[in-house]
Amino acid sequence: MKKRKISSVVDRREFLKNTSVATFMAMMGGVELTESRGADITNQPAAAETPLTVIPALQAVNFGVIGAGVWGRKIVNTLNLLKNDSQYKNTEVVAICDTFPAWLDRAAKDAPKAEKFDDYKKLLAKPEVQAVVVATPTHLHRDIVLDALNAGKHVYCEAPLAQTIADAKEIARAAQKAFKQVFQAGLQERSHPHRHFLWPFIRGGNLGSNVLVRAQWHKKSLWTRTAGTPARAAELNWRLQKNISTGLMGEACIHRLDAVTWFLGGHRLGGRPNSVTGFSSNILQNAGPDVPDTVQCVFEFPEGPNSGVRFLFDATLCNTFDSEYEMYYGTDSAILVQPGNEARDSKAWMFQEADAPLIGWIVYARKDAFGAETGVSLVADASKQKSLTQKGNADSAPQVEPIQYALQAFTANAGAIGGAVKDYADLYGDADTPEYRANLADARKLALSKHPAAGWEEGLEATVLAIKANEAAVLKQKIELNNDLFQL
Amino acid sequence: MKKPVDSLISSLLIVSLFLAGACRLRAAELPPASSQPASTASTPANNTSPAMPATVAHYQGRPTTNVAVTILGTSTFHDWDMKGTSIGGFVEFPAGVNFDTNQAALPGLSNGILPATNWATIPVRGIHSQVSVGADIMDGLMQDAMKQADHPAIQYKVTELKLVQPHAAGQPFTFDAKGDLAIAGVTNSVSFPVTITPLDKTRIQISGTAKLKMTDYKVQPPAPSIAGLGVMKCGDEVTIIFDWILLLRQQ
Repeated sequence: MKKRKISSVVDRREFLKNTSVATFMAMMGGVELTESRGADITNQPAAAETPLTVIPALQAVNFGVIGAGVWGRKIVNTLNLLKNDSQYKNTEVVAICDTFPAWLDRAAKDAPKAEKFDDYKKLLAKPEVQAVVVATPTHLHRDIVLDALNAGKHVYCEAPLAQTIADAKEIARAAQKAFKQVFQAGLQERSHPHRHFLWPFIRGGNLGSNVLVRAQWHKKSLWTRTAGTPARAAELNWRLQKNISTGLMGEACIHRLDAVTWFLGGHRLGGRPNSVTGFSSNILQNAGPDVPDTVQCVFEFPEGPNSGVRFLFDATLCNTFDSEYEMYYGTDSAILVQPGNEARDSKAWMFQEADAPLIGWIVYARKDAFGAETGVSLVADASKQKSLTQKGNADSAPQVEPIQYALQAFTANAGAIGGAVKDYADLYGDADTPEYRANLADARKLALSKHPAAGWEEGLEATVLAIKANEAAVLKQKIELNNDLFQL
Repeated sequence: MKKPVDSLISSLLIVSLFLAGACRLRAAELPPASSQPASTASTPANNTSPAMPATVAHYQGRPTTNVAVTILGTSTFHDWDMKGTSIGGFVEFPAGVNFDTNQAALPGLSNGILPATNWATIPVRGIHSQVSVGADIMDGLMQDAMKQADHPAIQYKVTELKLVQPHAAGQPFTFDAKGDLAIAGVTNSVSFPVTITPLDKTRIQISGTAKLKMTDYKVQPPAPSIAGLGVMKCGDEVTIIFDWILLLRQQ
């Protein structure tokens, strides 16, 4: 790569090629809305955006993965992927657990250094396992998470945290108590850099006043899975059993639910709904005869910044159109957010009203057509030359999937807190004192500021919402969501 | 990972150290660095020092959430700083020594030297870069440079604590401290001034500033290559500022 010299004389052509209005504004003391992600090295990047050539490794973390189904294997493979990044090269899957031998063997092929367990308690008894990822069916989370926290492990618990609100609260209480450990709820959007790029943009008033939010989760697929024996089939098809399943709202939509309530302000800023009204039908029986395969929910909000705003959510297993997205409507603009998944990267666009205040950089920003509408791309470097040549709203495979960001955060934070605990105990002893707690609380704050992630609080909030939304949909009723539901 | 210029510039790295109390080693020298166990508190440091005769006033390092160690450095781009909240270890003085600044003279001196034994230890990974973006990268660079995995702590033992005379009543007691400082597996003799201030009846604060060179400790000043900007070379010399709070252990 050609080295650029810093010079007070700026070549105009060079300047235009490498910079943007946003960069220029930043130079002038303004704020560039940018996202801390890898720069595109195919186009000679502006100096400020290029990476260090060497990124040292973070603290080593040894993982145990409990639950080796489809998602458990995804976790194992993602943890393997982390090792390609020099920062996370010390990550290792050292133990895997599943009660079904064939799945255990299959997952173990992806983790050659892992010891295999058929009982999670034996896995937890291994001192070399520092952190566990719990990827079992939702209704089995509670005992595993409680035992893991008790055993002193850092815990990543997939979302929803639990099948019932009581279980979720028990998990949250245990996580709150475990001040020497990291508990991360599997709300992966919370660790996604694109979300952290969008959050200040949306919260910063670019919508005007909030009007409405609409979100959807559309797939055409069958939740029923086949197995060799009826007993195994029953075990495998837990999502089809209405007394166990949290339905589409819990098992599929919790990430959208969490993202929307987070962007609307969360419980501290009036973004927690105070009621949910649900509808449901079973059109193709794609989630079995007892669990609806098509649901709609309407969330309403208390007096405050979101009074009068409704959040409309629809989910179906019977139609794929437009997959999943969130659409935030405000008096000045609407913002479309397409979450990332294994097939595409996270993307967002803004559609401005004619009478919206002018935002300077938009003139230079890349724009994409959506039928008759034009969306201003809300990605890092949206106003840069290079972004204009990238594929627009066509799907392109992401470099990094959301789960990878979440596991990166978990790894980094578990390493940081684990290190802080050891250092403190070495210096001052391991007794539970207010100083110990304050010290670790500081370490946690510092770690989360570098690697944001959902904790027990966010996990509980989203789990309660998802469970209640499912209940409302199944009962086709309106359910009031009083604050007690969310309190420990 | 992209990083704004500001962060880079104000960033980076390094080293070091810290501090302490006073003089006369009771037990020999710092162990050879290579033989130090991989623990932040090797040998005597843990919660108690070994023997504790009643003739000794034992002050134990206390945890704090305030900044206890600041490291200031330079680079070809920008000055940088790192901060930590932990200094562990202890200091022992003869029983009866107190640091009431109103005293005209300090009790317990012998030939102007205050007998003292100490062990101070600072966990390397407890020292953090203060940049707003990319701090974890800077912390990682520092830990790599200081070979944190093999030498998790900076350690210090004082060998002589000499009161700077005359002492002006009302001012903290100032000493010239000589001691052994171990960083990244290399032990050197160092000297710098320290002050001891009583905070209340049972707590004292030992403060000081020391300048040292990374290369004296075989720590290579980091020089990360930043595409587009070139190599950001850190200056060899760093300044360590410490404020160590200790609590008198009651018999």
